[in-house]
Amino acid sequence: MSNFRLGNLFEIVLGFFEIFAPVLAPYRRLHEKLPPKLQQTVTAFAFILPFAIMYAIFTILPIFQTFYISLHKWEIMGTNIRFIGLKNFERLLTRDTQFHQAFETTVLFVLLSFPIIFVGLCFAMMLNRPVKGIGVFRTIFYLPNIMAVTVIGLIWARVFASSGRGLINAFLENLGLDIIPWLDRADLAVLVVAFTTLWWTVGFSMLIFLAGLQDIPQSLYDAAKVDGANSLGRFRHITVPGLRRPFAFLCVLQVIASFQIFGQVDVMTGGGPAGNTRTIVYNIWEVTFQYFQVGYGTAMAVIMFGVLLVISIFQLSLFRDQGVGS
Amino acid sequence: MTAAGAQLQRERQRRETLKTRLYIGGVGFFAFIWMLPVVWTIVTSVRSQEALMRNLASLIPHPFTLDNWEVILTSSLLWKWLGNSLVVSTTHTLAQLTVCSLAAYAFARLDFYFRRPLYLLVLIGLMVPFEATFLPVYLLFANLNLHNTLIALILPGIASSFAVFLMTQFFRGIPLELEEAAMMDGAGRFRIFLTIIVPLSTPVITALAIFTFLGNWNSYLWPIISATSSEVYTIVIGLRKITQAWGDVNFYGRDMAAAIFTALPIIIFFFVFQRRIISGIAINSGIK
Repeated sequence: MSNFRLGNLFEIVLGFFEIFAPVLAPYRRLHEKLPPKLQQTVTAFAFILPFAIMYAIFTILPIFQTFYISLHKWEIMGTNIRFIGLKNFERLLTRDTQFHQAFETTVLFVLLSFPIIFVGLCFAMMLNRPVKGIGVFRTIFYLPNIMAVTVIGLIWARVFASSGRGLINAFLENLGLDIIPWLDRADLAVLVVAFTTLWWTVGFSMLIFLAGLQDIPQSLYDAAKVDGANSLGRFRHITVPGLRRPFAFLCVLQVIASFQIFGQVDVMTGGGPAGNTRTIVYNIWEVTFQYFQVGYGTAMAVIMFGVLLVISIFQLSLFRDQGVGS
Repeated sequence: MTAAGAQLQRERQRRETLKTRLYIGGVGFFAFIWMLPVVWTIVTSVRSQEALMRNLASLIPHPFTLDNWEVILTSSLLWKWLGNSLVVSTTHTLAQLTVCSLAAYAFARLDFYFRRPLYLLVLIGLMVPFEATFLPVYLLFANLNLHNTLIALILPGIASSFAVFLMTQFFRGIPLELEEAAMMDGAGRFRIFLTIIVPLSTPVITALAIFTFLGNWNSYLWPIISATSSEVYTIVIGLRKITQAWGDVNFYGRDMAAAIFTALPIIIFFFVFQRRIISGIAINSGIK
């Protein structure tokens, strides 16, 4: 019904363009004289043109510029630009302990993000029942996922605030207990950020797993029951293999997302305490836009690009396995 | 069925409903604990400054006050940022759908020279993280004197490889016969695209529209680089700046009201499109 109306609307819009028909007629005749494949090529390029322009300006050219800038000493106002070859990379890889620390922190966040997948699986198992009203709970657990990082970060930064002015510490104070300096201690701050990420994004894993669970035919479970398999056996031999695909998908996605952690850190800790939650992207941002060392910050981005490229190739092969690749 | 059998049946049913109730109760309790910070956020936003100084960890909104909300709702900046977000995300989404669906149609349906290498070039974009391109893009806008404009927030990301990929896949699945019939009637490619392909692709296009909109609305890294003047903040960045400015612990009520103010449009958006969001996740993650 609505489809028809949309089509009709476009029909009317096209009708207006008919007034250009006489102007375009000579070109159209010329177009029709071309061999069929060339004809289609002209048409196709016209269709692709807007995309091609934007894609060239905002994706393809910037990649080359990024490589170019990374070979220079380059300050943000365009002053003091000097070709220095691979010196940025040399400094990065051999001497820059801050970058090394940021890299380690990022890897730590990547590792700490795997629990998100397992908690997501638990939630999916918990909510995978045909009970009336279960949709409400799915909504509740998913809802944080579509919130902005500033909202989530603000709430949890206030919950974990180090002084007695955080929710948890105020509660502890009420009970007469010692407060815990959540965001002032390096190990705790990392865990708090990781937990916030879990709370924020676990709903996504849950929904992916729920979709996966619903794809497993019920007949498999019924057959296993007849054969006398207990619930643990059914989980191990039917559910786990059935969820292999969503699991692989989430792993790759999670690694890529965690490698790019920035918002939570910026909102909750500002990289602190003592740089212990500073991630790669945070480091890039700081070096580039706070210290204005554009060339150097870009060199970091190039390294990060390389790491993510390797991960993405895994991802593409995953897509291909599912038969959706070209 | 004998009376005893019916009795047994009823007994079993009763036990089943009891089980379900216990299950719902358990999940409900867990959901409440899980969402406790949100409950606290809402309650805090309607508690007075004095009450919050006395005891922060309370879920009882007494004495009840709307002072914090008055500050937030009368702040012209917050409304301005909300407007910015709406303009940026809506324009971005519409532009992306237009530009990418046109390209996707060519890749899906036309047989032209360089089709495969060009499509490969598009797919390469799937592997390029934003961090690998944002600095040149920033410099470009700075050179064009477009730093701190909404245009700079809208344009990057319109040419999305993912959107082209997704729509190309979908367009390929539409039966060719429909197009051939229209072509017999003398319809051109553009007419076919608009009146046949687009209307038949509404599921994938709406799913894409929803997630593009959400992604752009929630984006953080680019706006914090590109919008450095309060005139052009999006609401997401605005919340960050405003709570940082009030930063000190004395204004929890206001902060939380601002957080809810920021979250509310997206919550409304979610409930309007709930079904499509839930089903769209599978489409959008390329897993279905």
